[in-house]
Amino acid sequence: MCGGLFARRGLFLTRLVLAGKPSPPRGDVAARARNEVVLVLGQRKLLQRLVPGLMHAFIFWGFLVLFPTIVMAAISAVDKHATIPWLGHQGWFMALVDVFVLLVLAGVVTAVAIRKVVRPQRFAGSHRGEADLILALIAGVVLTLLCWHAARIAAGLNEWPAHESFLSNALSRAFPHGPVLERLFVWAHLCFIFGFLAYLPYSKHLHIATAVANVWLARTRARGKLLALRFDLPDDELRFGAGTVADLTQKEILDAFSCTECGRCQDACPAHATGKILSPKLLIMGIRDQVFAQSTEPIVGNGVPEEMIWDCVTCGACVEACPVSIEHIDHIVDLRRQRVMVDSQFPAEAEPMLRDVERSANPWGKPQTERAAWADELGVRVLEPGDPAPEYLYWVGCAASFDERAKKSAESTAKLLAKAGVDFAILGPREACTGDPARRMGNEYVFQGYAEQNVATLNESGVTKIVASCPHCFNTLANEYGDFGGNYEVLHHTELLAELVDSGRLQPKAGSESITYHDSCYLARHNDVRLEPRKLLNVIGQPVEMKRSGKQTFCCGAGGAHMWMEERGKPISEERAREAVETGAETLAVACPFCTVMLDDGVKGVGSAMRVADVATLLAESIDAG
Amino acid sequence: MKRVPLTGGKMVLTADEQAIETRHLGFTISPHEECAVEEAVRLVEANGGETVVLTLGPAAAEEQLRDSMAIGADRAVLLKTDGVEWDAQATAGAIVDAIRAEEPFDLILFGNESADASNYQVGIRVAYALGLPVVTGLKKISLEGAQVRCECDAGGARDVYVVPMPAVLTVLEGLNLPRYPSVPGRLRAKSKPLAVSEPARPPSQLEKLRLVVPAGQGKQAEILGEGPSAAPRVVEVMQSLGVA
Amino acid sequence: MSTLVFVEPDDDLSLQALAFARTLGDVRAVSLDGAYAPAAWAAAIVSAAQGADTIVAAGSDRGNELLAHVAARLDQPFAANVTRIDGDVVTRIRWGGSLLEEARLHGSPRILTVAPHTHAAEAAGAPIELLVPDASDASPRVLERVEEQAGGVSLRDAKVVVSGGRGVGSAEGFAIIEELAGLLGAAVGCSRVVTSAGWRPHADQVGQTGTKISADLYVACGISGATQHIAGAKGAKKILAINSDREAPIFASADYGVIGDLHEIVPAISAELRKVRG
Repeated sequence: MCGGLFARRGLFLTRLVLAGKPSPPRGDVAARARNEVVLVLGQRKLLQRLVPGLMHAFIFWGFLVLFPTIVMAAISAVDKHATIPWLGHQGWFMALVDVFVLLVLAGVVTAVAIRKVVRPQRFAGSHRGEADLILALIAGVVLTLLCWHAARIAAGLNEWPAHESFLSNALSRAFPHGPVLERLFVWAHLCFIFGFLAYLPYSKHLHIATAVANVWLARTRARGKLLALRFDLPDDELRFGAGTVADLTQKEILDAFSCTECGRCQDACPAHATGKILSPKLLIMGIRDQVFAQSTEPIVGNGVPEEMIWDCVTCGACVEACPVSIEHIDHIVDLRRQRVMVDSQFPAEAEPMLRDVERSANPWGKPQTERAAWADELGVRVLEPGDPAPEYLYWVGCAASFDERAKKSAESTAKLLAKAGVDFAILGPREACTGDPARRMGNEYVFQGYAEQNVATLNESGVTKIVASCPHCFNTLANEYGDFGGNYEVLHHTELLAELVDSGRLQPKAGSESITYHDSCYLARHNDVRLEPRKLLNVIGQPVEMKRSGKQTFCCGAGGAHMWMEERGKPISEERAREAVETGAETLAVACPFCTVMLDDGVKGVGSAMRVADVATLLAESIDAG
Repeated sequence: MKRVPLTGGKMVLTADEQAIETRHLGFTISPHEECAVEEAVRLVEANGGETVVLTLGPAAAEEQLRDSMAIGADRAVLLKTDGVEWDAQATAGAIVDAIRAEEPFDLILFGNESADASNYQVGIRVAYALGLPVVTGLKKISLEGAQVRCECDAGGARDVYVVPMPAVLTVLEGLNLPRYPSVPGRLRAKSKPLAVSEPARPPSQLEKLRLVVPAGQGKQAEILGEGPSAAPRVVEVMQSLGVA
Repeated sequence: MSTLVFVEPDDDLSLQALAFARTLGDVRAVSLDGAYAPAAWAAAIVSAAQGADTIVAAGSDRGNELLAHVAARLDQPFAANVTRIDGDVVTRIRWGGSLLEEARLHGSPRILTVAPHTHAAEAAGAPIELLVPDASDASPRVLERVEEQAGGVSLRDAKVVVSGGRGVGSAEGFAIIEELAGLLGAAVGCSRVVTSAGWRPHADQVGQTGTKISADLYVACGISGATQHIAGAKGAKKILAINSDREAPIFASADYGVIGDLHEIVPAISAELRKVRG
């Protein structure tokens, strides 16, 4: 009966997943296999938090080791003298079983302690009763297993050398010698297992089954890359993001089924940390509820509150934290796509940005004729149609072209490249917004217009190597333009500058200024650029790390089109600025024009006089001083 | 409806001084007309019927016609020019011919004046040629049976007109908030009908000789200071102007 | 040479137009009686203008509308917002004043309106002839005037306007703008991007497509100064710009500038005003 329940539910869930829109084909089998080993078997993300990580690993590894005992119990239930050939006779295996029974029990006790005593905030909103029941079932499974083995020894039914299974052997001394208790415990054990099996697919513990598939299907590289929609399909095949559950992709549905409500995403989320409504966990749970209910209502407004999808800065901290490779950003962006592209409903303050990007080719609505004004006096070559391609095309980006605080970074970078004798040029007025803010806001259509336009400009100019100032442009150029025929070697300016310092083409003067470096999400987390900016800072000053850095960095608050949106509640930038100020460093180094602006405001907001400057600017100053 | 460039902080002219340099500039629907299109679409959504959007301009003005169809106009008419600007009388004449060639319309909406030429007269001229009543500068339009109630700002008050349809109305920005075009709307707009004709340009009665960038541009403000420490200087200036 | 000028009572722009017309020769100033009915009024002006070689009005909403009617009725060209005239060559403003056009006006009579604030108004008191429009004319007329709730100082007529742009950052950010406006007895204005972002109603918008102000002082906070905005602000006698970008085009239209973050500077000005007033 339990098998039937399990199978019925399993079929139902499989059908739900298969009803999703096909996710794009995914190659890269080696990387996927590695992810299974590292993330699933190795429990790497869970182990980033030692105690809860070990707790989970004990239970998980325990179940892997104890799996054969389920078969043994099933065989033995039919014929009490039978067991699995060979393995059932191995004393070392039974000893291992005892060890893992202890470890699983330790895991369960730790889990209960965490949930009932420590009560971390990350469980807020999770189904706690369900977790308690699951923990009780797990404890039941291993306790009855232990008792069954003990009773088996007591009844003389053990096929293995009893003394080797130290724990069951010790316990057996407390048991009477008859077979009754042995029968009782084998059935009790099976009851727990079947009960667990039957309950599993109805609970959040479903992740046991789905996590493996979810990890397999997740991105293996270029995590900052969004999945492109296609607008050239027949009407009935067009998809504009996710309005109802019918629009979700198979991976998104599997994501929803894989969530076990652990709340690591919520803990890492800068929006949540500053009191916004968004919790990546509640988002996924909300979507899951809608999927289970097979709802035909819009997801936003029913499973997911409207504000939630606009709070997101697409920093990817949740994706990075998730042990089962849920890709929250895809959900957020798909929900935004529906709201922006189909419903035309989104925070009003973002509308000027979207219209300006579309009409003026930059989110500030400045005329393109003024794009290269910052370079007027620097003698930077502006690439005209038909000109020979430079070695590096310097992609300045809108922020460094138009924002007065961000312009300094472009000026510094251009000066440094010139000083090092790099053959580079800019596109000037022919450089248009990459479309990133429109895309992250949900307007894929406008994004693709710019992707095609920029790829055409770059390809016609024969550009092969690009150095980008803005990590958002960098991410788009490096990871996203490939879908539109644009394949370039793309470097962030910190990478190229580090190379130039390494090769001696730039010779900065060693300095003693203490500098803390803020990792931009789109560099450090989405694109694994962490070493190069630090290399530069190591040369020109005394770096000191913030509490959250590298892959674990904390957003400045500007990502996901938030540069142009209002922030409800506490500013993320101030939260981050406070952390920077706590390091005691004199200077906060950044490598992103958005971070420059946000953190400069943030530092002022917390009443500090700390200087915020781009790594390129600091490097240029050091070279000027030398 | 008129296609106009998005100018920034300063105007740059072409060498012949006949137009502003628009290379690298974006274009949009002139703001008042953008509201006129939105209003037409809303009226048709509420009352049924058809919205036709018309422009006189270069071939590239198709972009603004498609934008209008993306927010709900049903079809478009492009009176194609070779890019040379038409004066208001010639423009009105071509529009009148195009309207006469169509089914009669209940309402003909215009922007009160275009952002670039700002002639303040095309709608009125069309109304006279067609023998229709015209009300201008509207901030509110509502249908009342076969009549239309029109409201315009009158310095802290609203002047109300009620006119029988068919009528010509010219509107101002602020009449409504034009919707953000949906992508399904944009995709549909690509295949909506767009009729193109090339009327002949009559001689200009208001004949543009040249454009001039006014001398006032490029004056530099007296900088009173940087940051909050400039506050006392600012207040001194306010006092000297007699406003503080 | 005779010029017919349409004058509205108690209207400074009309007096500016009258002053402009005087430079052309003999002037006959007319006004109209009764509820505003543009077509009927235009008909009356056309009859009165028989023999006049120029018809002039102020480049106000009403002046432009009426003379467009007159021009349509006579099927003659009409030049709106003229700053100077030399024979049949006029200079008129485009783009709300960011650009001038020199054009030949081929019609007769010459029909034109005078761009606001380009000529000093003459003193009131010149004789004005009152025309009576045809009462049987059934063309559109103002049927009623609905007074609106007075919401503080009117933007159009305020002596001082304190205005915020994209740099203000949010609807809540206008609190400091309102505070300063309150201290100065000023109206609050904004730029077009602020209206589009939904931070302020369109009624607060200063610009070519919003309200054109005529204040003694215009304080532009966090406004970059696109031409479309300047078109609405240039009627102010003095402009003070507060902007963090020293390259912002607003400084090319302003008389005074303060460079820096408006979120610090505006409250500092309010505080200084309070201090000075004790």
